[in-house]
Amino acid sequence: MAVKKERRTGAHPLVYIITTVLLMILCTAVSAAALIKPYEKVQTYLHIAFMDDMKIKPASGLDGLVIKENEISTQKPAEQEQQFSDTGEIQRPSFGEQYAVLECDAINLSVPVYWGSTPELLERGACQASASKVLGEVGNVVIDAHVNTFFADMHKIAPGDEIVLYTKYGIFTYEAYEQVKFENTDKTHILPKETDHLTLYTCEAQVLGTSTTRVGVLASLVSKQFYVQAQDTITQEAE
Amino acid sequence: MKIRCYIPNILLTILLVFVLLATLLTAFVRTQVLNADSFRTITEQEQLDEKAYKSLETYFKTRANSTGIPAEVFMDAIPQPALKEGINASVAQAFDYLSGKTETYEFTMDFTLLEESVTQFFSDYAAEHNVVKDKVYEEKVASVIAEAEAEILFVADTFKMSMMHEKGWLGSARHYLTYLLFAQAACLIVLGILLILLLLCNLRQMSHMLYWCGTAGLTASLLLLAPCVYVTQTDYFAGFAIKDPQIFAAVVGFLELLVSRAQSMAILVLVISVVCLVLFGIIRAVSGRRGNALEQETE
Repeated sequence: MAVKKERRTGAHPLVYIITTVLLMILCTAVSAAALIKPYEKVQTYLHIAFMDDMKIKPASGLDGLVIKENEISTQKPAEQEQQFSDTGEIQRPSFGEQYAVLECDAINLSVPVYWGSTPELLERGACQASASKVLGEVGNVVIDAHVNTFFADMHKIAPGDEIVLYTKYGIFTYEAYEQVKFENTDKTHILPKETDHLTLYTCEAQVLGTSTTRVGVLASLVSKQFYVQAQDTITQEAE
Repeated sequence: MKIRCYIPNILLTILLVFVLLATLLTAFVRTQVLNADSFRTITEQEQLDEKAYKSLETYFKTRANSTGIPAEVFMDAIPQPALKEGINASVAQAFDYLSGKTETYEFTMDFTLLEESVTQFFSDYAAEHNVVKDKVYEEKVASVIAEAEAEILFVADTFKMSMMHEKGWLGSARHYLTYLLFAQAACLIVLGILLILLLLCNLRQMSHMLYWCGTAGLTASLLLLAPCVYVTQTDYFAGFAIKDPQIFAAVVGFLELLVSRAQSMAILVLVISVVCLVLFGIIRAVSGRRGNALEQETE
């Protein structure tokens, strides 16, 4: 009889399974409810610290940077068979792309210009601040390079000297009008402008050590010459 | 299972789940998060010294373009082993502060070689170019040394202990670390009390202890395991915004190490819980068969 009584008190196996599942659901719900507030507080910080679209594991400073070299013709407009127009389509470059060649005959300078500024790009040529205007757009085009490499003779550019920038879609000619000197905290010359400007700058050359002073050349636009047929199109047709 | 036992058992099990979670978490924070060995493991595993060295090399090579000082002047004075010592020292000094051995956190390294190297370079340059060693010259040397030291300390502090100290996080951790031991002890005491109460509720059917403990363990381990699996599967930490190789490797490596250890701990609890539940099932089946046999004999 005692055994019969014990058997009757034993619950069905399903009761144990359901109890376990219900307990899990209950505890999960309690945990979720308790964590909602703290999660809301840290959510913003988490989204800043861990970005879904930035899942790149870096191994060097070059990771994530795609450097693209382009062949850009530096023939003078007069030497070209191409036709030019005052207006045209601007090709917006990608970060790390060489999209122009800067030439200044006065100091015998010819340097590739990359879109964006990083130590790796500065090793290869001059860099254009991606916050500045793309050549052809109205505004301030800001280009910098190292003082002991590409812009070593920049201080020799005098007012009236011509600075030409060649791109795949056009040729942009500027004329230097002023040499400037400013502190690295002073953003006056690199801020956006309403009119067409070119600002070239580099560090002040010092015997040794670092300098917080920057030297620059300001130039105004003389001519905008867009190719009627962009160089990319010509290459494709030739192929 | 009687209803008068069922409800108290459910309540005790729910409490047991959260107390078990709290016990596991406090133990985890004490033994894994606030443990200098975890940081040293990451330094070795991720080769932080090599990454930091490369980063410094890039910095000084880039600076050479505007300063004219060759990178070797600095890099020869800071060999990779010295940088590794620096990384370990930043962690050791932070833990000395956390444990109360020191009253403040101040990360320093031995820069004697660096100072000698820079001074020598300037001296050679001055001799070669007839530069007068006046006040300006001395200031220049001092500023170059100070700048280089600041950069080396910044790079060697891969776990950003200085930043955490400045933000007051190390101070808070030091403050709460003393309470953490009490919290862990309190969790263990409450856990013991809950187990005793559970035992009292199941005195007549001791095998049920296995069921309730197994259920509590299973729930707690799954609650712990779910976020670990999520961050592992989505590679959540790879989205860390700071892409400096040595900082990224240090922070992400450390977080991934913690997650993998938390995951191991949760799996261990899960296995123990499943064993408890399986044992309970076996005992129940065996006692059921015995009961049937007895019943047949009685009939």
